[in-house]
Amino acid sequence: MPSLHLTCSLRHSILTPMNRIPVISMPSGALIMLILRVLRSNSLHGYAIAQRIHVLSSEILQVEEGVLYPTLQKMLLKGWVTSEWGISETNRKVRFYSLTAAGRKQLQAQQSDYDRVTEAIQAILRTA
Amino acid sequence: MRELFRRLNYLLHRRQHDRELEAEMLFHREMMGKERARNFGNTLILRENARDAWGWTWMGRLFQDLSYATRVLRRSPGFTFTAVIVLAIGIGVNVAAFSLFDMIALKPLPVRDPGSLIQFQRRSPTRISSEMPYPHIEFYRTHAHTLSAVLAVMEVPPVALDNDTQPAHLSFASANYFTELGTRPSLGRLFDPVLDNKPFAPPIAVVSYTFWQQRLNADPGVVGHVLHLNGKAVTIAGVLPSNFASLGADRAELWVPILQQPYIIEGSKILSDSQVDACHMWGRLAPGATAKAAEQELLTLTGQLQKVDPQGVWENEFILAFPGGHLQVMQPAMYQVAAMISILTLLILAVTCANLGGLLLARGMSREHEIGIRIAIGASKRRILRQLLTESLLLALLGSLAGLILSVISLRVVLMLTNAPAWLSAIPDWRVITFSTCIAFLAAILFGLTPALQIARQQNRKPVARQVLIAAQVAASCVLLIVAGLLVHAMQHILYNSPGFGYQSVVSVDPQLAQHGYTPAAAGVYLAQMESRLREQPGVLSVALVKLPPMGHRVARISTQIQGKPVAIFPNSVEPDYFRTMNIPLLVGRTFVPAEKHATILSESLANRIWHGENPIGKALPSDDPSSTPRDIVVGVVGNARVNSLSDSDATEQYWPVQTDDMPQMSLVIKVAGAASSMGSIIKSISQSLDPKLFPEIRSLQSLFQENVATVERIAASVSLVGFIAVLLAGIGIIGLVAYTASQRAKEIAIRLALGATRMQILRAILSQFALPVMLGLVAGIVIAGFASSVLRGTLYGISNLDPTSYSAATLLLLFILVIATVLPARRALRVDIVKALHHD
Repeated sequence: MPSLHLTCSLRHSILTPMNRIPVISMPSGALIMLILRVLRSNSLHGYAIAQRIHVLSSEILQVEEGVLYPTLQKMLLKGWVTSEWGISETNRKVRFYSLTAAGRKQLQAQQSDYDRVTEAIQAILRTA
Repeated sequence: MRELFRRLNYLLHRRQHDRELEAEMLFHREMMGKERARNFGNTLILRENARDAWGWTWMGRLFQDLSYATRVLRRSPGFTFTAVIVLAIGIGVNVAAFSLFDMIALKPLPVRDPGSLIQFQRRSPTRISSEMPYPHIEFYRTHAHTLSAVLAVMEVPPVALDNDTQPAHLSFASANYFTELGTRPSLGRLFDPVLDNKPFAPPIAVVSYTFWQQRLNADPGVVGHVLHLNGKAVTIAGVLPSNFASLGADRAELWVPILQQPYIIEGSKILSDSQVDACHMWGRLAPGATAKAAEQELLTLTGQLQKVDPQGVWENEFILAFPGGHLQVMQPAMYQVAAMISILTLLILAVTCANLGGLLLARGMSREHEIGIRIAIGASKRRILRQLLTESLLLALLGSLAGLILSVISLRVVLMLTNAPAWLSAIPDWRVITFSTCIAFLAAILFGLTPALQIARQQNRKPVARQVLIAAQVAASCVLLIVAGLLVHAMQHILYNSPGFGYQSVVSVDPQLAQHGYTPAAAGVYLAQMESRLREQPGVLSVALVKLPPMGHRVARISTQIQGKPVAIFPNSVEPDYFRTMNIPLLVGRTFVPAEKHATILSESLANRIWHGENPIGKALPSDDPSSTPRDIVVGVVGNARVNSLSDSDATEQYWPVQTDDMPQMSLVIKVAGAASSMGSIIKSISQSLDPKLFPEIRSLQSLFQENVATVERIAASVSLVGFIAVLLAGIGIIGLVAYTASQRAKEIAIRLALGATRMQILRAILSQFALPVMLGLVAGIVIAGFASSVLRGTLYGISNLDPTSYSAATLLLLFILVIATVLPARRALRVDIVKALHHD
């Protein structure tokens, strides 16, 4: 099974990395929802977030760094997550992200939206 | 809101954030392990993308562009200097005009709460008066609830001060005047709203700062001194501050409480007379009230007033309110003038920008190489465009700054020359600075966009843009030159043509009998004595009574329709000798005979409008109301003499014989042999012997006329200056463009010359591409000028706004300059060294 990659198109086309990976589009906002979900129970650093999503999706979803960090920055701006410096398992100083109250609310809202949409799609796929 | 706060917080700490992001990504990379780390991509770009989320990227780019633009401009100081100077002129003219407008109409007066000050005007469908009877003001003051205060100001002709030969300017103001304006005295006290609001309070005067300095020797102990105004003793109560701002730019040197008016002007009943429009009325809106509400309330009050005083209120009278907290209370007609001036100044800007646009296009050629490289290494067209526009913007801002400085300097000069009130300063306020910034942006778009588009698209060889720029420059300078030509012609007209009456050696004398409470009979006696005494004087050629003396303080104007066309008639009541005294020729019929009734004399222009060249003698004027009997019969026609509307060529005059009831309002005109100035003391002594209460106002018509002409001269001079600047700019711009085109085609010219073409043929080949835009520009300019100048009609002193002389002179002058501007550089191009030109590359 080909792995699903989350990427974003890069502005400077001449400087795009040589090793391009086929892009399969993902419902917009899905990454945010996934990040919010994995941060719900405990705070994680960026690499751990990517790993978590990768592992939990049975290695189907891979979060590319080029998408992860802009998304995290956007979430910081929106106030859904906060960051704090901590010590990693490898004894390095690194930034840990954790959910805020606004983030929890956002997760709930997004998840229920997502559920409704998938149910609707499923209904069409079953009956049409 | 919180998001904005986080955004700003990020901006303030963006370096720290960037370091953190870098560390974080480095960690990520290490965790990924060696073989997969290659997939990470360019860290710098990833970081940039992450930063994009905060929405500040545009700022970084802007700084980048700005620093690059600064480097580019610094590298070619010659170009930058020229561009900034050209822009400084184009923008400076606009900024100066706006500053003037700001000073007059936008800047609030430095008084307490200027926003709630209102000036009132008395109106009816047929009449307008900016002054109203004092009893009406009193009535409104007692009954209006929308006004927290009502101020009355009466401006009067200059009064005699002690025994000085120089009179003093006096205004009467209501006792609450200075407290309402929040003025603090620099010495003594100002009016007390209670104490000075009584008719029999001890008479006091407040003097202006300049008056105190110039005529009272800046004496610190001046409070308590006694001055004599028209022979009446008043005590100086205080001195106004030097930066005092009066309402409506009143230039009074002395202020006396209005209830003292009957004391100073002995015998005056003006304060109780509801037939005379005597005072300006100002008001302060009560908290929460609007000007519209005040107008409504005053309309109701006027209705009530009519029941009490049916004579004093006009038919359908209503009161209009205008914002009063500025130097000048703006009327719709003034906005029209302001609009015309702004069109002219914007035309200058247009010429400037078209000019600079041409310069930038030419420069774009030499930058082709640089732009080419930048596009080749991956810059997008949008990025190049933005870079070029940033450069233009930087130039425009520099030019705007220089223009602002230029405007401040010229404004200072104007303020100094016009003896403006001390509180006015040339230092720009936030409105002027905002305006200069906005106009810089406008200019940057005007001159920068087209060249930038062409350069960014790498197709600047198209000559269309250049031709459009030339046409625009020619059109704009054409309009400016034509308007300047019209004004100059009007000025010459008034200087070298008789205005229809003789003003040399004529003085007008206004004894102000009505103001001193004279009855018609007493006034008749006084004037008869005055006339006979004057006629006895050696050198007096003739004397006559006139109700509205030439170029006087009061002007009457009847707007009516004759055969469906609107006509402005200036009415006057005169004695038979008036026409001889004023040197107005009697064309047909006779002048009045003494004590005549139901007769009228028309000006030639009015007679022609009604009867189109037929003999009007013995005919009755067509009237709206044919039943009114007896009708006035035309007894004579005199030459046009626009004594009270010098500049308006559409004005007509109608005269009636003096009636007994008019006597208190009459003035005298006296024609003397030799200089009129010698008459002053003689008239004063006659007046003293007839009635020592009176202090007649004596004015020389010659100096009044010269003042009038000086205004036109100033306007014509400044418009001409502006016009010539524009033409100069256009000329320089076109020289540059032609020289540039010729240099582009140097090789072609050399080849043609080598093949035996004559210089004439080549000249024609180079210049042919300029002929069409120049012609189009000229035609467009003439058409625009034709429409725009209709605003000027009333100020052209009898010159038509489509006056062919001005149009052809302006067009020919422009054409001449354009021919020189094109042929000079083209001729130079012909002197190429053929061998050298062909050997080049």
